[in-house]
Amino acid sequence: MRVPFSWLKTYLPELEGPEVLEERLAGLGFETDRMEQVFRIPEGVVFARVLEAHPIPGTGLKRLVLDAGQVVEVVSGAENARAGIGVALALPGTELEGLRVGERTIQGVRSFGMALSPKELGVGEYGGGLLEFPEGELPPGTPLAEAWAEEVVLDLEVTPNRPDALGILGLALDLHALGYALQLPEVRLEGEEVPIPFGLRVADPGAAPHFTLAYAFGLRVGPSPLWLQRALFAAGMRPINNVVDVTNFVMLERAQPMHAFDLRFLGEGILVRRAQPGERLRTLDGVERTLHPEDLVIAGYQGEKSFPLGLAGVMGGAESEVRPDTPAIALEVACFDPVAIRKTARRHGLRTEASHRFERGVDPLGQLPAQHRALGLLQALAGARVAKEILEAGSPEPPAPIPFRPEYANRLLGTAYPEEEQLALLRRLGCRVEGEGPYRVTPPSRRLDLRLEEDLVEEVARLKGYETIPLALPAFFPAPDNRGVEAPYQRERRLREVLAGLGFQEVYTYSFLDPEDAPRFRLPPFPLRLKNPLSPDRAALRTHLFPGLLKVLRENLALDRPERALLFEVGRVFGVAEGRVEEKTHLAGLLFGQGVGLPWGEGLSGYPLLKGLLEAFAERLGLELRVEAHPYPFLHPGVSGRVLVAGEAKGFLGQLHPELAKALELPPVWLFELSLPLPEAPFRFHDPSRYPLALRDLAVVVPEATPYGEVERALREAAGPLLEGLSPFDLYQGPPLPPGEKSLAFHLRFRHPERTLTDEEVEGVMQEVVAAVRARGWRIRG
Amino acid sequence: MQDWEREALDAIKKAQDLEALRALKARYLGKKGLLTQEMKALAALPLEERRQRGQQLNALKEALEGALEAREKELEAEALRKALESERQDVSLPGVRLFAGGLHPITLMERELVEIFRALGYQAVEGPELESEFFNFDALNIPEHHPARDMWDTFWLEGAFRLQGPVGEEVEGKLLLRTHTSPMQIRYMVAHTPPFRIVVPGRVFRFEQTDATHEAVFHQLEGLVVGEGITMAHLKGAIYELAQALYGPESRVRFQPVYFPFVEPGAQFAIWWPEGRKWLELGGAGMVHPKVFQAVDAYRKALGLPPAYEGVTGFAFGFGVERLAMLRYGIPDIRYFFSGRLKFLEQFRGVL
Repeated sequence: MRVPFSWLKTYLPELEGPEVLEERLAGLGFETDRMEQVFRIPEGVVFARVLEAHPIPGTGLKRLVLDAGQVVEVVSGAENARAGIGVALALPGTELEGLRVGERTIQGVRSFGMALSPKELGVGEYGGGLLEFPEGELPPGTPLAEAWAEEVVLDLEVTPNRPDALGILGLALDLHALGYALQLPEVRLEGEEVPIPFGLRVADPGAAPHFTLAYAFGLRVGPSPLWLQRALFAAGMRPINNVVDVTNFVMLERAQPMHAFDLRFLGEGILVRRAQPGERLRTLDGVERTLHPEDLVIAGYQGEKSFPLGLAGVMGGAESEVRPDTPAIALEVACFDPVAIRKTARRHGLRTEASHRFERGVDPLGQLPAQHRALGLLQALAGARVAKEILEAGSPEPPAPIPFRPEYANRLLGTAYPEEEQLALLRRLGCRVEGEGPYRVTPPSRRLDLRLEEDLVEEVARLKGYETIPLALPAFFPAPDNRGVEAPYQRERRLREVLAGLGFQEVYTYSFLDPEDAPRFRLPPFPLRLKNPLSPDRAALRTHLFPGLLKVLRENLALDRPERALLFEVGRVFGVAEGRVEEKTHLAGLLFGQGVGLPWGEGLSGYPLLKGLLEAFAERLGLELRVEAHPYPFLHPGVSGRVLVAGEAKGFLGQLHPELAKALELPPVWLFELSLPLPEAPFRFHDPSRYPLALRDLAVVVPEATPYGEVERALREAAGPLLEGLSPFDLYQGPPLPPGEKSLAFHLRFRHPERTLTDEEVEGVMQEVVAAVRARGWRIRG
Repeated sequence: MQDWEREALDAIKKAQDLEALRALKARYLGKKGLLTQEMKALAALPLEERRQRGQQLNALKEALEGALEAREKELEAEALRKALESERQDVSLPGVRLFAGGLHPITLMERELVEIFRALGYQAVEGPELESEFFNFDALNIPEHHPARDMWDTFWLEGAFRLQGPVGEEVEGKLLLRTHTSPMQIRYMVAHTPPFRIVVPGRVFRFEQTDATHEAVFHQLEGLVVGEGITMAHLKGAIYELAQALYGPESRVRFQPVYFPFVEPGAQFAIWWPEGRKWLELGGAGMVHPKVFQAVDAYRKALGLPPAYEGVTGFAFGFGVERLAMLRYGIPDIRYFFSGRLKFLEQFRGVL
C-alpha cells in the first residue's frame, strides 16, 4: 500500500520525517518495501486557463488559447482539451523527462509550449489526455511547482490481518498509539430534508450485512482540485472527476471502498442480490462479463425486473458510471462478506482496490462515517446537495469484549510489564477497558484482527516494542514419548555420510519430472500430477530418483565433459497404492566413466565397481547385501539385478539399457536405486575365536550360466557353522575347461570358537562340501 | 711372504662381485685351499720351523679373512645400493584414483543448523513433502478463502487420494506440496505430548518462477517448543543462540511484529551478520496460536486420544536454509543448488 508521507502527516502533525516513520512502522509490524521520492515538477511548467479551444480542421488537433499570465496559443491533440479547465502548461525551454519543450509551428499554428498529460508532467502513468484542473484553481501563470510539492511515498507491506491499515487514517491511529498526537479530518455536512427518489432492497443480507445508500444531487462534475489529485496520484491512482475522486480518496483514507451510481440508470432503486444464471454485465474496465450465480451484484430494479449495475465489492458497471453530465448519484457504502467478494474477484480475475479491502474485511461500523466524509467532500468539491436521510439495510455488528489478564500477557511474553501500562496502551489504541480480573477489553471496530486474549497480548508487546522482551532459555525434561524420535533422521544423515565417505558425490534434483519421462525412462506412468505446474515438463511427481541423476549427468557432460562421475541422491518419491498416496525415501546412485585405477591404466569400473561400493556401503551399515539377476525394462538385460538387503528386496542395480543410453545420448552408465529405510541390523558382539584357523582351497567347475551367488550359497550351506569365512580368489574360463563351463576357486577358513579343530574334522566338512557340489552336478577342479 | 700370498690379498681387494669373492675364499681358505694346504704341510716341519711358520700362516689367515670380510661388506653395500636404485619410483606420480565424494551444501548447512539446536536439547524429525490442505493450512488457522492463503503460492495435485496421517490413520482432502515445514507442527503434536523441543528440516515448495534469489523448491528449518510456561522470551533466546552459533559473539537478534495465522503474537526475526555488516531477515516466528492447539486437540479427540495441549504454551519459528548457505559459502545464485553441476558441488568436499 502506497502511503504518501504528507497525507499521513495531515493526521499526525508531529511526525518527524520519512526515515523515522519507516522505523516506527517496522516496529509496529509494517515493513516498507520501498521509499520513493515523487513529484519533481519541472521549472517552466505553469498553471494556465483554457480560454478557447478551436478544432484544426482535418487533423484531430485543437488550437488552444490560454491565459498563462499572458495569453498564448498552443496546439493539443488531447480529447479532453476544452475551454473552461485549468491545465499544466510547459513553456518553451522547459526540460521534461527526455524532452525539451520548444516553440514550434504545427499545422500552421504557432504553438507556444505544450499542455501536459499526467505522464508528461511525471506525476502519473496516464498519458491519454491532459491533466485538468478547475479553471480557477490557481492564478494563471503560477509556477506549478509552487502548488505541487514534492512527496515521499512509502510502499508498505500490509499483512492480510490488518485491513484497517489499508487506510491512511487507520495507520495514523496505530501510530497515534505510540504517542503521536492525532488530528482527525473535520467532517462538514449539510443534509437536506428531501425525499429520496429510489429504494433499497437487500435480498442477501448474509453477503451484505450492512448496506447504506445516500442521495446526492445537483452535482457539478468536473476536475478535482489540485490537492486531491496530488493525493490520488501519490497513492498510485488516476484522478477521473471530482465525484469518483472523492470516493477513491475516502477509500484510501478509511479503507472503506464505495461506489457512486449515476441516478439515471437506477430505475426505481437498488437491489442487492446474487446474479442470475447467464446474466451479463459490462464492467468499468470495458470487459463484458458473464456472471456466476454466486456473484453478488448491485442491481437496479424497475417493478419486477432488475438488471445488474455492478459486481458488488469488486467493480462497478460501465453504464452507470459517473460522467461529466451526471446530475445526481446514489452513493453506496457497504460491508460485504469477505469470502463472497474474494470468490467473485478470483472467478473474474479481477483484483481491485475495492476487492482487496473487502476480502480482508472493512470496519463493520465504518459505513456511515465514510458516507458523511464523502458527502461532505462532494458538497465542498462538486457543489452537491445531499439528502439528510441515508438508506440503510442490515445492522452493523459491534465488536465483542475480550477477557484480558495483564498477568497472562507477562506469562506469555516472559516480561514484567506493569498492569496499568498495559491497559493504557490498549486504551490508546482505542480499546474500551472495563471491569477487572479479568478486564473486559472491547477493541475498536476497525481492528477486525483483535478477537482473542493473545491478540491483545500482541498489541501490548507491539506497542512496547519486541526489543523489550528479554532473552531466556527453557529448561525441562521432555515427556517420555518424545525420547528417541530423531533416530530416523540421524540414521538417514549417517547414511549420507557413509556414501560420501565411499566416494559418492551428493546431488539434489527436483521432485518434478516431465510426464513424458515415464515412457522415456521405461517406467510406469507417474500417478501423481500437479494441477498447476510451472511448466508442462515439470508436471509429474517423481516415482524414482534415477531419471533425475541421468539428467544431471547429461547436463554435466554437455557443459563440463567430466571423465567420470559417482553420484548419489537421497530424496522423496511419490506413488499411489489403492487410492492412497505413498511417499517414500529413496537412495539412488550412478557411476559413469573411468573408475578406480592408475590414471594411465584401464582401471576398474562398471558393474563390479558399483557393486563393490554398494557392498562396502551395506557392510558399513552391518547389513548383508545380495544381488540376483532380475530384468528391469530400463536396465541392460544382461546386467540387471534385484538388490536384497538382509534378505529384503530393496531395489535394483545394473547398467542402463544401451538403447536408453543411446536415446539419452549418454555413455554406458551403471545405476542403483534402493527404497529406504534399509532394515536395521541389531548389533551383536562376537568374541573372536583364539583357536587356530584351518585353511582350505576349493575350485568348483560349473556351467557358465550358473550364478556365482548360487555356488557360494551351496558351499556355505554345506560347510555349516565351522566355516568362519569364504572368499573367492579365481574365476576362470577357457582351456583346459570345455566351452560352456567356468571354474570358481575359493579360500575357505574354518575355525571352532572353543577348541582347536582336528584335521579329521576339517576333512569331514570338506567332504560334505564336495558331496554337495557333486550333488548339484558340478565338478571339483584339480 | 710367497708370491701367491701377495696375489691373494690383491685379488680379494679387486674381486668384482660376491661370486668371485666366494671363489677366492675357496681357493685360499677352502678345504683344499692354498693356505689350508700350507697348514697341513706344517706337521712335516721341524719344531722350531713349524712354530715360526705356523705363526706366519696364522697371521696370513687373519689377513686374508679380514680382507675377505671387508670386501664382502663393500660388495654387499654396493649390491644393495644397486637394488635400491633399480626400485626407485617417481614419488610425484599420482596414486590410484579413487573417488573423493562429498555432501550437498544444503545437507551441510542443514547439518550445521540441526547441530546448533541439538546442543540446546532439540530433536530433529521430518515430515512428508506431499501434504493435505488440512495440515498445511486449515489446522494452522489458515482457512480456505482467507486472504492469508495468498501468502503461500501453492502447487496443488490433480485427483483425489487418501494420505497417511500423523499416527498412520488415513486422511482425505485436497493434496498439495507442502508450502512450509509448519504442517509438521500439527503432525508432531497430534502424535506426541508436551513438553518437547523439535526442529524439522525439510524440502518445501512454492508456486513461483525462479530467479537468482527465488526457487520453487527450497529448504526450511522449523522449530517448535511446547510446554508449561514457555514464553516469547524463550523464543528470542533460541534465535539468539542460533545467531551466536552462526556468527559469533558480535551477532545480535531483532524481532518485529508480523502476521502468521498460526502464531500470536507473531514476529519476524533478523540476525545481525557481523561479517557482512547487515541484518539478515531470516524468517517468521511467534507463540503458537491457541487455535492451533485447539485444532490439534480436536484431531486427537477424533482419534480417541486424550487432549494434551490445554494450558500449555509454545513457540515456533521457521526460516530458509538456502539463504544461510549462500552467505556461508558465498554462493551468488539460489538456482545453483538444484543445478546438479559437479563443478559447483565438488567445491564443498572440503567442508567436513
